[in-house]
This record gives sequence, structure tokens and C-alpha cells, in this order.
Amino acid sequence: MSAPLPELLAPGTEPSVARASRARGRGRALNLRIWLPAGFLVLLFCACFLWPLVYPVPKPTGGSILEAGLPPLSPGHIFGTDPVGNDVFSRILYGGRVSFEVGLSVTAIGLVIGGLLGTAAGYWGGAVDTVIMRVLDVLIAFPALVLALAIAEGLGPSEMHVIWALSFFSIPAFGRIARSATLSLRGQTFMLAARLSGTSRRRMILRHVVPNIMPQLLTFSLLGIGVAIILEGALSFLGLGIPLPEASWGSMIAQGQGTLSASPEYVLIPSAFLFVTVVALNVLGDALRERWAR
Amino acid sequence: MTEALLDIEDLRVTFTGRGRGPEVRAVDGVTYSVYAGQTLAIVGESGSGKTVSCRALMGLLPPGAVVTGSARFQGTQLIGLSDDQLRQHRGANVAMVFQDPARSLNPTMRVGAQIAEAVRAHQDVSKAQARQRAIDLLRLVRMPLPERRSAEYPHQLSGGMRQRVMIAIALACRPRLLIADEATTALDVTTQAQIMELMLELQAELGMALMFISHDLGLAGAYADEVIVMYAGRIVEQAPAIELVTRVRMPYTQALFEAIPRLERPAHAPLPVIGGRPPDPAMLPQGCAFEPRCRRAADDCRAAAPPLAEHEPGHRWACWHPVNGGPS
Amino acid sequence: MAIAEEVREQAEPGAARTRRARPSVRLTGRRLLAVIPVLLGVTFLTFVVMNLLPGDAAQELLGANATPAQVHQLEIQLHLNEPFWVRYGGWLGGLLHGNLGTSLASRENVTTILGQRLPVTAELLIYAFAGSIVFAVGLAVLAARKPNGIADRISMVVSMTGLSVAPYVLALVLIYIFAVRVQWFPAIGYTSLTQDPAANIRSLTLPAIAIGFPLFSVYTRLLRADIVEQMQREDYIVTARAKGVPPWRVLIRHALPNSLFGLITLVALNLGTLVGAVAIIEPIFSLPGVGAILIQSITDHDVPVVEGIVVVFAVVVVLAGLIADLLYATLDPRIRYERAAS
Repeated sequence: MSAPLPELLAPGTEPSVARASRARGRGRALNLRIWLPAGFLVLLFCACFLWPLVYPVPKPTGGSILEAGLPPLSPGHIFGTDPVGNDVFSRILYGGRVSFEVGLSVTAIGLVIGGLLGTAAGYWGGAVDTVIMRVLDVLIAFPALVLALAIAEGLGPSEMHVIWALSFFSIPAFGRIARSATLSLRGQTFMLAARLSGTSRRRMILRHVVPNIMPQLLTFSLLGIGVAIILEGALSFLGLGIPLPEASWGSMIAQGQGTLSASPEYVLIPSAFLFVTVVALNVLGDALRERWAR
Repeated sequence: MTEALLDIEDLRVTFTGRGRGPEVRAVDGVTYSVYAGQTLAIVGESGSGKTVSCRALMGLLPPGAVVTGSARFQGTQLIGLSDDQLRQHRGANVAMVFQDPARSLNPTMRVGAQIAEAVRAHQDVSKAQARQRAIDLLRLVRMPLPERRSAEYPHQLSGGMRQRVMIAIALACRPRLLIADEATTALDVTTQAQIMELMLELQAELGMALMFISHDLGLAGAYADEVIVMYAGRIVEQAPAIELVTRVRMPYTQALFEAIPRLERPAHAPLPVIGGRPPDPAMLPQGCAFEPRCRRAADDCRAAAPPLAEHEPGHRWACWHPVNGGPS
Repeated sequence: MAIAEEVREQAEPGAARTRRARPSVRLTGRRLLAVIPVLLGVTFLTFVVMNLLPGDAAQELLGANATPAQVHQLEIQLHLNEPFWVRYGGWLGGLLHGNLGTSLASRENVTTILGQRLPVTAELLIYAFAGSIVFAVGLAVLAARKPNGIADRISMVVSMTGLSVAPYVLALVLIYIFAVRVQWFPAIGYTSLTQDPAANIRSLTLPAIAIGFPLFSVYTRLLRADIVEQMQREDYIVTARAKGVPPWRVLIRHALPNSLFGLITLVALNLGTLVGAVAIIEPIFSLPGVGAILIQSITDHDVPVVEGIVVVFAVVVVLAGLIADLLYATLDPRIRYERAAS
């Protein structure tokens, strides 16, 4: 729909002029939107993985009935205990571990495999492109949940299986992004120039294609981690993800459903963590996309 | 001396850096007047500020542009008016025709509807009346089969026809001043001539002033009464067309004339282009802006910028060492 | 191109009008034909996946305590002992006759089950989509009026929220706030349209928001970005302003219609992903729709029911693509005329 972008002012006026004036004003706000969420995510990551090692925390499973149903801010249990007696705070931390593990693994797998496939498809074109894209298209067209549920249910709930199931969708997603990024790159003059000056195909990909599509792939990755975390939560919510009594934010939410009116905190606390984490990932991804698009 | 239709005085347009980076001075103090019925050409390279200065009049610059100075249209000050107030003038008193009619027309709207919209922007007429008026306007711009064309979409028309539509839109409310911003640049040479002729005919028919902006000095010399040459945001020479052609003073203008390809030149003779590039509007020099590229440059050119002054009746220029020995 | 058209027009006036009708018909025909390979592919894959899973319906139905003999007997009854291709072929054959088979779990006719449950899901999805699109257009237009103004900042915050929230989380939070605290909407249960329209709408509002709010967020962001880009970068917008057209009209009459393409594409793509959303949301609100039985059917290895649902959604997706194409042609005359020429 959009033609090649004309300059904002008359044709021929310096293009940097108007765009620069707007961008400078938002520079400071942009920095905030990068460092604030990044800082939060790093903090959360460290808390989930390091806190229990450094500071004694009640175990997330095997709690005693005697301590069941304590409200938040009880002594020794900041977030209280769940109906079975487990400390909610430590379940949040361990559940966070799961979220990070699944989110990062699924995204990494998608980025590497999907990225490679997509770049190859975009760069080589022709038969390679068609074959790869058909396969990816089928995966995308497939009713996603059916497949994920089937895998998770058939193979039994476990973290590894969740990662498998979700990678099924992150690979084609990254594949498409990598391919379209490579295609638009291919059209640029500097690519032709490099090729004409005799650059080998391998060098082309490594030195020219990959560094130029990385920013797009990385911002997509951040958004993808958020999606993966939500999907893992969904599977656990349905009972088909991380098996109980292991902690996962999704299963905690599912457990809390029954007591929603009486004790909403069982739903609200893991929901809040889930939400804030994904918001941080999205804001960061967005801000980086803005920063790198200039 | 008849009263001017448009009086521009010390117009400046800067794009602010908002604290980061230098401010960009696109138009650096421009003063001139346009009279009713006059044909004025503004000529300059890309980045000379010619388009920005005209869009500033109409308030069509992007946000972030700071406009100072004075621009009086029939006595009314345009600078500083709110967007609502400026809208009263846009199309009604001052109208513009733009460069690329392929992109300047809404691709999803019928041509007649776009003209009718211009009519109804300022006149309280019914839709049917406006549609009829649109057809009349198409006839005015010599468009064959106006009823048929009116119902068509821009992509169904040729470049020349689209530009006629743009002119029809501009003339919808009988403006006193028509500004053609590189209106013929995107057209082939034959169509270019047709459109220029059309605009001049309409100007005579409707008694408008015509201001056309171009980078083509030959075009300006051929069609305009008066020519203004701009460089780096300032006016560097202004004179009636004939005077400019015969007794050019500014080295820049002279170089522009020499750069026009001529049939009489020997074959394969190198084209005398002007070396170098115009200065960065964010970093304008203290002295004459053309000095780095000027054949006649001397030390005093670097020290201070020459002022624009009417050294001869009707002929202004800004140069310490003008061509043909004129006074500086 | 235009000259040729003109000549042709003079020879046979009105020809252009009929030419306009034909491409749409051809397009529709092509799209409908495309349903078949898609259906085949998707149902086949579903069949494969369902069969690859360990265990089978008979086992599930009888439970862990059943003897192998009992399981085997049930298998014969349900034709589960027949080879893969026979079963798939049999089902496909049934499909061609309009018969979707019987549920292995409940022995009911799949068509009956779908007939009862589809209207609920359909109404829910229409409600969610209509709401999300209408509000998205409204908010995007308001936001685009002054980029980085108040409305725009609000829209960005709201969109970010919607993008980051999980539908199941949103559903539960909505229930807590609106059904438990302030009892405006029922937490669970469904009243059909024919019984009581007002109660019907009330029972579907919270689930529709749970599904629609993330959609609304994505749409708003996309549309706002597209409109702003049109307003800032396109020449015809400058022409419109130069004519003296009021800013609201420039926004709504010029920029908006030219910005809808991305949104249409996205909506058409989204429909496919809705299977997942309804499967999670419907059980939370105890809505008797298609999603509510999907998960259970997968767990039960109830292949006919799963396939039935898959078929319906595949058809919906293809139809959505067709409607999207038709909308493109309506909005952009260049597409209309391009097709006429080809």
C-alpha cells in the first residue's frame, strides 16, 4: 500500500531534518524504556535463580497441612501459603525459574533453527525457499492448540515436553521473520555491490546478512519470550504443562481459581508476576526496535 | 506602485534540535513581494529552501518547524495564525500544486470527488452542485471528456491528466495566488510545456498571480516575469527574467545558466557543472554560503556574508564580486 | 493502459462496469476451491497427530482398571482396530456426504454436537471481534489525531497492557472484579439468545472482553501506526490539507481508508488462532461452546469430535481470507482494476 517513502518536506530537502528533531526529543524517554524493564528483568531473573541459593526460603513443595491457607504477610511467609501448605513466595520464585527456562529455551531454539531456515530460504530463494516455506506454512496453518495440547497430553506433562511443543511454533515464526528480513535486505544496493566485488556466499551471509537482520530478530525474540511464557502458563493452567506439585505460575493460577472469591491472592499474585514480566519484555522489545530502526 | 498581493519579510524557518544537535536553518531570512497577476519563479538547488518557504506560508510544514518573520497576504499576517485560521486561506486565497501527481492524489478516491471536496471546503454548496462544479473545473483545465474523467480514479489517468486534476483542485475556489511547487518536474518534456502553458493561460483567464518553484532556470527564464534565485536558504539574486538572462550578476546564477545543456555546444563537450555541494543547513558558514564553490571567491567572501541589496533598479543581488562588473 | 480503456469504452460503453463484476466472481470461485486442499491437509494432519499419540479412545473411556479384553472388545466396536487409512478414508467419505461421524465418547452425532455448541462459540467470537475492531478503530483515530498527545499516550499504555496480559489471567481478573466484587456480570453460565437477549449479552460480555481485549490492543497499535504513517509521509495528505479540508476529515476520509489494509490482513490471520483462545476461555466461564469440549475430546482421543471442530475452523479461516480479499478490492480500486486487466 505504501509507496517508497517520500521525504517529509519538499523532495530534495535534507532528509535528516524533520526526523532528527522528533527523535532527539524522545531520546531520554526511550532510554528509560530500555533500562527500566531491562533492570527489572535482570533483577527478577537473579531473584528466581539465586535467591533460594543465597537466602533460605521455605521449599516450594511438600508443605505441611498445618501451615495451610496462611494469608500474605504472615511471619515467615511473605505471600502466605497455599491451601496445601506450600509457601507462595518460594513457589513464585521457582515458578519464575520455569517461566524463564521455558521462555528462553523456546525462543533460543526458534531463533537458531527458525532463523537459519528463514535466512537460507530468503537468501537462496528458488527451490530451497519454496520447500522451506511450504513446510513452515503447514506448521503455521495447523490448529496450533490442538497440536500443543496433543503433544503435551500424549507425551505427558513435563517441562521438556512443553519446550518441545512450543518450539514447534516458534521455529516457523522466526523462520518467517528471518526470511522477510533477508528478502528485504537482498534488494538493497550494498548487497549487490558486495556480491559484485566477489564476496563469497558464506561471507555474504555471515558478514552482511546476519548482522543486519540480527536487530529485527532480537527484538522479535524479546516479544517471543513473552509469548512463550504466556503459552507455558496456558498449558500449565490446563494441567498439561508443568506437572504438580512443581511450581509454575500457570498452574498456581489454575489452582487459585476455585477460591477466587474468598482468597483472590492465589490468582492475583502469580497473575501480577506474569503480567509485569511480559510487560517488561514487551516494552523493552518495543524500545529496542525503535532505537535500532533509526 | 500597486499594492503587493503577498509581502514576505525576513521569513525564517528553522527545525529545532530540541536540545540535541544544532538547529537546522532551512530558510534564512527571505524578503520579497508578489503582485496580482504577476508570474514569479523561484529557482534553486535541492535544499535551497525554496519549497520550505512556500509551505511555511500555508502552514504545511511538519511539527517541529519554527517559522518567524512576516508574510502578509492582502494585508493579513499569515505567520502565527492557528491551523483553523490558516485553513480559511488554504485553497481559497492561496492554492498549491505539487510535484508528483501520482502520489499527491488520494488513490482510493475518485478524481471528481477530490475536486468537489476542494469546492466544499470553502463554499456552502450541495454535493450535487460540487460535483457539477468539479466537471466544470475539469473542462477549465482542458481535460477531454470531463464527465467520464470525473468518475475515474487517479491510477487510470496519465501523468499529464493527473496534473490537470491537481490544477483543477487548486483552482476550485478561485484563489488569488497559485503556487506551483515543481509542478512539471515529474512530467516528460512535452507534457511539461503543455502544463506550463495551461497554467499561464489560466492565470490570464482568472487574473491570478502565479508563483512557480523550480530547479530549472531555463524554464524560469522562459515563462516568468520575475525570477528569484535562492541558495542555502537565502535569496541571492532577483530580477525581471529578461534582465536576469542578459545581465546576470551572481556567479551562482551565471553558473546555473552555463550548466543548462545547449544544442549549439560542440559534441562531447563536458557539461560545466558546479562542483561541490550546497552547505549543510545545520552548519551554515559565517561568510557567503556559495564561496567554497565560487570561481570568483576571495578572502572577503569568507569573512562576511554579502547582503542582498538593490544595486540596480529592479535587480537585487548579494555578492561581493558580482559578474559583469556590477556594484557590490 | 488508460488510453486503451478509453478506446474500448468508446466502442462499447458500459463494458468497464461488467468487467468489474467478473473478477470478484472469479476470485470467490478460486478461494472456495482453495478450501478443499486446506481441509484435506489440516484434517489429515490432525488424524495423524491424534493417532500418533499413545493410548486410544477405548482405553480412555474404560479407564485404567479395564482388562485388556474389555478394551479390545470396545476397540472392535468403535472400529479402532482397523488400519489408519481405512479409518481416515471412512471418515473422509462420511464428510463428503455431510456426515461427520459419531463421538466415540458420547456416541452422539458429531453434527448434532456441533450444531448445539457452535452457535454459542460463534456468538462469543462475533461479539469479541466486533467489539475489538470497533474500539480499535475509534481509539486509533483519536490517537493518530495528535501523535504523542494525551489520547495517543493513553492508547499506547492500554495497548501494551492488552498485549502483555494472558487471556486466562484477564478472564479471572475480570471475574474477580466484575462478578465477585461488583456483581454486574455472571461469572459462569450461559443464557441463549432466544431465551433472554439481555441475559445472553451479559453472560457473554466478560468472556468476550477476555478474548477481545488482547485483539483490540494489537489492532489499535497497528492501525494507529499505519494512520500516523499515512498522515506524515503521504503526499496526498498534504494536498488535502492544502485544499483547506478540516483535519478530522483528512484523518477519517483520507488517511483511515488507506490504512485499513494491515488491519484486515491481521484480522483474517487472527481467526485461525482463536481455536486456542476459546478452548481456554469457555471452560473458565462454563460456556457450552465448541472450545469447552475440545480439550476433553483430545484427552479422550475422541477423533471424530476433534476433526469436526478442526473442519469448521478450517472453513472459517478460508472464508476469512476470501472476505479479506474482497475487502481489499473494495477499498483499493487499483486492485479491482488490476484484476480486471489480468
